[in-house]
Amino acid sequence: MSVGKGSKSMPTTVERPKPFLLPQFCKGCGRCIESCAKHCIEPGTEVHPETGLIPVVFDLENCTACGLCMSACPEPYGLAPQPESTFELEDPATLFGPRPIPPEKPETIPDTRVPLGSARPLVVKGTYASAIGALLAGCRHFFGYPITPSTEGAELMAQLLPRLDGAFVQAVSEVATVNMMYGCGGAGLRAMTFTSSPGFSLMLEGISYMVGAEVPGVFVNVMRGGPGLGNIAPEQADIKLACRGLGHGNTHGIVLTPSTPQEMLDLTMLAFDLSFRYRNPVVVLCDGYLGQMTGKVTLPERMVAPGLPDWAVWGDRAHRRNLIVSIQLSEPDLEKHNEYLERKYAEMTANEQRADLFRCDDADVLVVACNTPARMAKGAVETLRGEGIKAGLFRPLTLWPFPVNQIEDLLPGAKRLVVVEASSGGQLEDELRLSLSKAGLAHPPIEHVRHSGGILPQAAEIVERVTASRAMRREKGVPA
Amino acid sequence: MSVFYDRFERHDHAEGLKGQSTHYCPGCGHGLVHKYIADAIEELGVQDRTIAISPVGCSVFLYYYLDVGNSQAAHGRAPAVALGHKLANPESIVLSYQGDGDLASIGLAEIMSVAQLGVPITVVFINNAVYGMTGGQMAPTTLMGQKTTTSPYGRTRFTGAPMKVAELMAALDGPVYVERVALFDAKRRVKAAKAIKKGLRLQVESKGFSLIEVLAECPTHLKMTPLEAEKWVKEQMLPVFPLGVKKDAVPDESWPLPPPPSFVPESVTEVIGATGEGAERFCDGFPQTPYGKDIAIKLAGAGGDGAQTAALLLTRAAINEGFDSTHIPSYGPESRGGTSYADVRIAEDEVLSPAAPEPHVLVAFNAPSLAKFGPHVVEGGVVVYDSSVIAEVPPLPSGVRAIPVPLAQIAVDLGKVIVKNVVALGALQEATQLFPKETLLGAIRQALSQKCALIPMNEEAFGWGVKYAATAGEGDS
Ligand code: SF4
Ligand code: SF4
Ligand code: SF4
Repeated sequence: MSVGKGSKSMPTTVERPKPFLLPQFCKGCGRCIESCAKHCIEPGTEVHPETGLIPVVFDLENCTACGLCMSACPEPYGLAPQPESTFELEDPATLFGPRPIPPEKPETIPDTRVPLGSARPLVVKGTYASAIGALLAGCRHFFGYPITPSTEGAELMAQLLPRLDGAFVQAVSEVATVNMMYGCGGAGLRAMTFTSSPGFSLMLEGISYMVGAEVPGVFVNVMRGGPGLGNIAPEQADIKLACRGLGHGNTHGIVLTPSTPQEMLDLTMLAFDLSFRYRNPVVVLCDGYLGQMTGKVTLPERMVAPGLPDWAVWGDRAHRRNLIVSIQLSEPDLEKHNEYLERKYAEMTANEQRADLFRCDDADVLVVACNTPARMAKGAVETLRGEGIKAGLFRPLTLWPFPVNQIEDLLPGAKRLVVVEASSGGQLEDELRLSLSKAGLAHPPIEHVRHSGGILPQAAEIVERVTASRAMRREKGVPA
Repeated sequence: MSVFYDRFERHDHAEGLKGQSTHYCPGCGHGLVHKYIADAIEELGVQDRTIAISPVGCSVFLYYYLDVGNSQAAHGRAPAVALGHKLANPESIVLSYQGDGDLASIGLAEIMSVAQLGVPITVVFINNAVYGMTGGQMAPTTLMGQKTTTSPYGRTRFTGAPMKVAELMAALDGPVYVERVALFDAKRRVKAAKAIKKGLRLQVESKGFSLIEVLAECPTHLKMTPLEAEKWVKEQMLPVFPLGVKKDAVPDESWPLPPPPSFVPESVTEVIGATGEGAERFCDGFPQTPYGKDIAIKLAGAGGDGAQTAALLLTRAAINEGFDSTHIPSYGPESRGGTSYADVRIAEDEVLSPAAPEPHVLVAFNAPSLAKFGPHVVEGGVVVYDSSVIAEVPPLPSGVRAIPVPLAQIAVDLGKVIVKNVVALGALQEATQLFPKETLLGAIRQALSQKCALIPMNEEAFGWGVKYAATAGEGDS
């Protein structure tokens, strides 16, 4: 059936079209009724079978085509100007004028790795090394809120980014920060922040949205003493947050743990790669000491000039149909999405476990530590070796996923595990225990050296712990 | 109409009629505003540039409808997300669409700060005096006396007065255009559509930030028919929220859109300070000291003594020579006026542990530092201390050489007390023979490359440190 041709109110004297309505798209709100000075519209009386609502009815005898009723109708496909030509009712889309040409499918513009040319090594502190790593990884957008002891990283970005035509934004809070990163990352670009423990807590909500909506972004958390305001000295007490509590919902993200200024640079660069590879936020966890630690940093051979992923909401024609969203109203849809995320986490777990092994080959005492405490532990291992004790350092570079594959081979030879960390409750130890248990791995007794409040375990303490319990065991007749 | 999707595929997979009707209640103001936005985008020809930020609230599903780039934000954070998009692609036209709970309650900090930045973004703010999505709770814009599920006896002074967002925004320096409009009759609707178009046009012309507050009807939670709701807005809301342009300060010049970021390797290495020649080397192998292949040095003093700077110079010098070295400062409250100490490690291959709890070498700028760290110096170690401020040397471990040098006095005599740390470096050099002198002098010159005028005085300070330590050493042996 065609409509329009036979209508007695086809435009004749006026150029403007009269209103037209497909009753199934009328919600019967009546807003159009009031708007018509000519009283052409009246409340309906019949329930529409498809909607259960009562559409309005028209008598366009006196209609002047003023258009006011159309601009009173809240429905996009409600009251509209009558189409000029004949059309098929079955195809309502053609009713409403010419359609925009749907955009072509966007294509991913790949990142390029550009040779850096001759560059001499730098002597910089950890936060600076991380900021420089971000620049080399193609990050030109920084959002952040000052918080000790992470601020130097932000300050360096504020200094350097304008010189590379990048953007530095000091946000109103950490909450705003993470959401600016959500916008910038959603646009397909590399965004980062520096923060410290209390600030990281504030960002977790936003990180959960990023995980849900698959938005990349790099968070460098220079951990400080807690809980609460705690102090600004180094701790490792956000391991639990980063590995087990990355915001609400079914979240996970790769957590990298550097120990040297060099690794601050290297792992920050890696963080951007991983973040975009998996479309997921990545956390670089370090401690206040490492942030302040100055050391030698050699630059990589290449830097990244980032492309643009096909999924980006960039604000152009090609990417117009893209959407960044974390809401999934229907239960099956959300479950499907969560299962998809779990598959992604499984892929990260399979591919991204990383650890550094120091004198582990024949070790029967395996010290486990990351960040600055791992350096103290390394010194301790060296001393212990000097005393003839076969000690080794197992240093996770990823805490999530925990490098259980790498520790597995070492377990049969190890008689003891000693976890060294700067958290009172043993957050690193929890990660170790959980991973061993999930993998069903038998393990020797686990001991620990812990400090918190900004005090770091010292090499001498680690040595003492290892030798003291060795002596104790010997006394008890247990093989050391 | 073309800016609406043909079919609302995201609306429950476009099942049944959902492909072409909204999720809004009959007579809801949101739909009208969506239409005005769609018209404006079409008329301005920016469909292929626009990014709409959906909020949390009834309009969370804005992205069902507008065929533009879409991003859905956390509650209240749409302006922050919008800013992220605008800075990522300044060519994009970014629309932040927010309700009253979203913008005027949980998201106050974001809207205020982003508005004050003034970056060209267009915010459409729907004020319907109630929380729609969560079921009719009190909004920051709820009227005095108005009953909602969380103000069941009517809003009172204890729950505050309604928030006047347009006036608030107009009081900021950032926005260039702020107007409050309404939807309750044909005349206001025409004005509303015009204001929305103007807000977007100002962004297309890159003039600045604009916000359009729309008084809208929520018939459902007002428990009224749409027509009653229109009347209510007119009679009840209007006296509290007067309509009109609240600010129109459109500048002649456009907002300076930033150029695209640079990824030129030469610029990057220059900016991060990695260009230029590597420093000259003077060492012939790792320093032959009694301290082995991993040397621990501690420098300690009061906040302004320059211990950190001297420590960094040592670290840099060691790295220039191709060794590994680290520096960690004490920091925090004690570094602001109290003791400030720095640990330096220098190792042939790799510094294992960067801390120096038991240093081979201690430089003490004041008595408390010497008292605190002196006893921890290892046997056979060296202590250089400022004899101009330290009268008495506490007992030191056996075999530790103590070298008095009047660091502060020398520096004062040179006319600049802050060079006392360089005097200390000279003394340390002489006392330990750690590096050839040129290694440290090279690191000092490198650090002062931007302030060349200061180099001679620093060289002199270094020289005095060497000289004093040499004579003190003679007296000692
Ligand atoms: S176009 Fe004008 S006159 Fe005609 S029905 Fe609509 S409001 Fe009435
Ligand atoms: S305004 Fe639109 S939805 Fe409401 S009654 Fe009129 S045609 Fe129907
Ligand atoms: S609850 Fe109110 S604001 Fe929400 S859709 Fe319904 S009428 Fe509109």
